[in-house]
Amino acid sequence: MPSSLAELRPGARARVTAVEGGGGLMLRLLEMGFVPGTVVALVKVAPFGDPLEFQVRGCHISLRAAEARCILAVPT
Amino acid sequence: MSGGALRVALAGNPNVGKTSLFNELTGARHKVGNYAGVTVETREGVVAARWHPSRAITIIDLPGTYSLTPMSEDEAVAFRCLHGEVGRVPDLVVLVIDAANLARNLYLAAQLCELGRPLVLALNMMDVAAEAGVPVDAAALARCLGVPVIPTVARTGEGAQALVECISRFEHELWDMSEVRARLLADDVPAPLRGLEPARARWLLAAQAGETLELTGASAGERAALAELGAEQVRALASAQVLARYAEVDRLLAEIGHKAGDRAPAMDRSARIDGVLTHRVWGLLIFLLVMAGLFQSIFSWAEPLMGVIEAGIVWLSGQVKAGLGPGLFTDLLTEGVVAGVGNVLVFVPQIALLFLFIGLLEDTGYMARAAFLIDRLMARVGLHGKAFVPLLSGYACAIPAILGTRTISSFRDRLVTIMMIPFMSCSARLPVYVLLISALFDPEARLGPFSQASLILLLMYALSTVSALAVGAIYKRTILKSPTPPLVLELPPYRLPRVRNTLLQVYDRTADFVRDAGTVILAMTVVLWALLSFPRPPEPAVQLDPIERVSAPDEQRSPIEYSVGGQVGKAMEPLLAPMGQDFRMGIAILGSFAAREVFVGTLGLVYGIEADDEDNVPLRAALKDAREPDGRPRYTPLRALALMVFFVYACQCMSTLAVVRRETRSWRWPALMFVSMTALAYVMAVLVFQVGRALGYS
Repeated sequence: MPSSLAELRPGARARVTAVEGGGGLMLRLLEMGFVPGTVVALVKVAPFGDPLEFQVRGCHISLRAAEARCILAVPT
Repeated sequence: MSGGALRVALAGNPNVGKTSLFNELTGARHKVGNYAGVTVETREGVVAARWHPSRAITIIDLPGTYSLTPMSEDEAVAFRCLHGEVGRVPDLVVLVIDAANLARNLYLAAQLCELGRPLVLALNMMDVAAEAGVPVDAAALARCLGVPVIPTVARTGEGAQALVECISRFEHELWDMSEVRARLLADDVPAPLRGLEPARARWLLAAQAGETLELTGASAGERAALAELGAEQVRALASAQVLARYAEVDRLLAEIGHKAGDRAPAMDRSARIDGVLTHRVWGLLIFLLVMAGLFQSIFSWAEPLMGVIEAGIVWLSGQVKAGLGPGLFTDLLTEGVVAGVGNVLVFVPQIALLFLFIGLLEDTGYMARAAFLIDRLMARVGLHGKAFVPLLSGYACAIPAILGTRTISSFRDRLVTIMMIPFMSCSARLPVYVLLISALFDPEARLGPFSQASLILLLMYALSTVSALAVGAIYKRTILKSPTPPLVLELPPYRLPRVRNTLLQVYDRTADFVRDAGTVILAMTVVLWALLSFPRPPEPAVQLDPIERVSAPDEQRSPIEYSVGGQVGKAMEPLLAPMGQDFRMGIAILGSFAAREVFVGTLGLVYGIEADDEDNVPLRAALKDAREPDGRPRYTPLRALALMVFFVYACQCMSTLAVVRRETRSWRWPALMFVSMTALAYVMAVLVFQVGRALGYS
């Protein structure tokens, strides 16, 4: 059972395996580059514990933990 | 625009220098408009003569989007514009690409290839890419994609000449992107959609999967075709489209030998800056400082400018009075028209300053960090972190704050924020609080180290903040119900702001306010003036000899009491009594509809006191000393408190309503805002007065 991007520690990387969630959210996440096969790194966590900052496809993208849970990934 | 001009649509992701390129090409001469029915701004301009275009070229600046999939109004409008549903179909599309970030930027290129319109890539920020160690081979990219690729540095204007030349002779070039296009469109669409043009069929599929079909303007036939497909099928097809585009992007990157991999080379420096700016201690501290600076600027820097405008209006009124002599027409001009123009112009400094700040924050990339830092707290209400800046601005003035909500992409969330903003205690309420507190509360009373007066003032601000948040949460869960918007927010590289772009935007938005909301405010000022001036008092009342007046104080009535407004105020007295107010306050409340601070002046008129004294000392004394016939004081601290609570909630500001109409394109929302806020204000004021009375206060 692969874990999700929400479970990464700052600095850790993981390879995306699937994107779940409602149709709109799933499409948006895919379009921002969270496509299966892509390696994503968790850069940092915001001061109040949420949202999270990821590095994906050459960009830094911020997601809430709730959205990051929709992106399944295996640690690399 | 003449029919012969070449129409060029300018597309691109946010933060890639698209606006700089547009300003560079058009010489910053453009007209700003709105797409019909939506609040997305449009800009259209003609390529400037300095580039010596060999033909007339009109450039349409599309909203900056990551994709054309219709998840928000921006993307829907961009696609419909490219498709010729809004205006004429563009002859050519210029896509601005961040050379330092091809891996994500080329996604939009793939989507535009599917569309099949002639395409030119402006490969911007070549300097940044080279510096970051990931130079791009433009010729190889052009060959692999089958479209012209022009390297540019929009900041300096480099490459603009080549781009104009390429656009001018695009029909004579033999570029062919059919190979890429064929690969992108290889997957067949399901049978019910086969009659549609392939790019549109895919676009509608994505909208169906994202449940945003209402943004697409899909026809009944198209809707029926989509309805034939199962939800799972639509979802699978829509996600397969995205994967196919990224597969094509990766193929292109491999083909041109691009070596960025999964690194973010352009972000190295920004990541170091973020080490401080989004740090859990320093980041929050700096955030507070920046917000305090923003607030301070609209609250007090605007003050001197507003003073100058107000002085100018007084001077103009004086000139008109001196030139025309006393009379009804003079009154109409000075108290209606000139005052109305003043009511519009007085907002200009605050609006310009707020947009300057927002523009600089967005241009530098800090706005995204601010949203990142504060999102956790805003998410509790159900809003996006980006709603924070407009809400904060609401403490200074609702007008710029409401215009500032344009940074929020979801229309529903924008509406929620707009409905919250008038609850924030704006600077115009301050003179009302100050007058009532200083007139009716003991200035010496203290509670610990604090004076009673300052604590009451603080209480009003706290009440307004809590109420705004509560109202937002209620709207978000009822009539504007929508899930908390996902925070899929890019933290772009930090960049130096381009002051010229920001100033142009400040000018556009301020001019737009004066033109559009300004006319409504002006008209409403004239109407309100008429209501408070007609009918005029019977002749003897104004002819009264000052001596006679003093000898017959019971007969003394100010002219305003004869007007329609005065009579309405009196008729309202039975309604006002439960909240502890009399008809005089009723008239002042009506007058304050022009702007809350007018409350003070109108109350002055009712008491026959010219309100030109800065501190309103005579008016304060009049309120303090006013007695009922039986000798009881007319106003008490409890009554003042009830009135202040009324002002916390009441939407006594027609300028706000005019701007809400402008921004929501309908009278529905301002009407709801006015009715609900006034009703709430009444209920709360009655509650305060009645509870106070039950506790033994008078």
